Amino acid sequence: MTFGVSLYSYGGDFLVTMTLEDCLADVADMGATGVEILADTHIPGYPNPSAAWVDEWHGLLARYGLTPTCYSSWLDTRLRKDRTLTVDEAVPILVRDLELAHRLGFTIVRPKLGVVSLDLIPDPVWREAVERVLPKAEQTGIRIAPEIHAPTPLRSKIVDDYLDLARQTEHFGLLIDTGIFQNAERTGTHSDSRYIFGDPDPELAAQVAREMTKPMNEDPADLADVMPYVFHVHAKFWDMTDELTDPHIPYDAVVKALVDGGYRGSLSSEYEGPRDLYRASDMVRRQQAMLRRLVAEHAAVPAT
Amino acid sequence: MLESHVIQTKGFKNVGDGFQVAVRCPYYRGIWASLLEGAEVTVDGETFGSDSVRWTLGGRTFTAPELAESTDARWPFEEPATLTVEKPGGLEPGLHEIEVAITWRWSYIPVEMQPTTNISNRKLVLVR
Repeated sequence: MTFGVSLYSYGGDFLVTMTLEDCLADVADMGATGVEILADTHIPGYPNPSAAWVDEWHGLLARYGLTPTCYSSWLDTRLRKDRTLTVDEAVPILVRDLELAHRLGFTIVRPKLGVVSLDLIPDPVWREAVERVLPKAEQTGIRIAPEIHAPTPLRSKIVDDYLDLARQTEHFGLLIDTGIFQNAERTGTHSDSRYIFGDPDPELAAQVAREMTKPMNEDPADLADVMPYVFHVHAKFWDMTDELTDPHIPYDAVVKALVDGGYRGSLSSEYEGPRDLYRASDMVRRQQAMLRRLVAEHAAVPAT
Repeated sequence: MLESHVIQTKGFKNVGDGFQVAVRCPYYRGIWASLLEGAEVTVDGETFGSDSVRWTLGGRTFTAPELAESTDARWPFEEPATLTVEKPGGLEPGLHEIEVAITWRWSYIPVEMQPTTNISNRKLVLVR
């Protein structure tokens, strides 16, 4: 297991108080070795960055001793207003991201899939589109991992459908967002502007808002069922206490399940708390300190 | 570099038959322009609908219907969009109360909860 940071964590600071290099320097400074990016956020000129930028990216990785882990991208199935994407349209999007991820040194691609239902069933084009890009994944050495994120339970048709393909190829598996293990209420928002989500009836709006923040209480021990297929982990958090504990997610049990399951990927810190400037660096350090302590407690072989 | 606020200080000015205001993408990532459904700008209580707002992204200027039809245009995360609002005579120099409502589609949120509109408010100074 390795320690990493998703640059999503620096959401409020990125390009305001911190450049890309500042973020990478910060990750290295806290001793983490893995770096995850959001393609559409952290690559200037995405999806066609300049050759000079690509060189600069590799130079920064070398300077700070960082290894690219997960390249998070989106499969925007609602790109057109009148209809959703066809498989033929989805394939070149996935190919484009696999190729760019590979150029930047990443070995995992997370396409965030569009959904077709209130319980977030992914658009069915995903299956054929992913199958058609598997040769490209093999050629580039990339593993594709959709994200299991709240409110999707570990034991669900969504996960079963992903596992059905994961059992057939080493290039498809899961990304687990540990927000599914949230077991305490949380409040608040991380935005300084107001959002309106569609025009649903107020009851539905309240229900969905509730679904998005309530504790799912998934049992970390259930990870045992899926561990062979887990390529990447978002170590989600919204806050950390002065005692360096997480008030919302039972990380002791999460880390134990990962260690017991032989997880060899990156624990990628994903801070999603208040976006106050200069807050993220401190919060991520708090979580990294906690994760290191827990891994050391549970692991026979120390993590790096 | 960008300012924290969606509505940027830099870029607020009178031009030709209207005024401009620069906004950074309120989302945490850059987006394809075809996902955008428009922007409404309110200045001191006067609202300018999506039809009177043109978007400049990466040096190219679009009406809202042109955004919807675009295939390769993006609103990069790192680059504020310039909104040009039609208003003959422009605005008076001085402090103005600005509200910008930007609407776009998220693919991974249930369709019942779409599109998403982000509303930001800020007082901005127009020098000229």
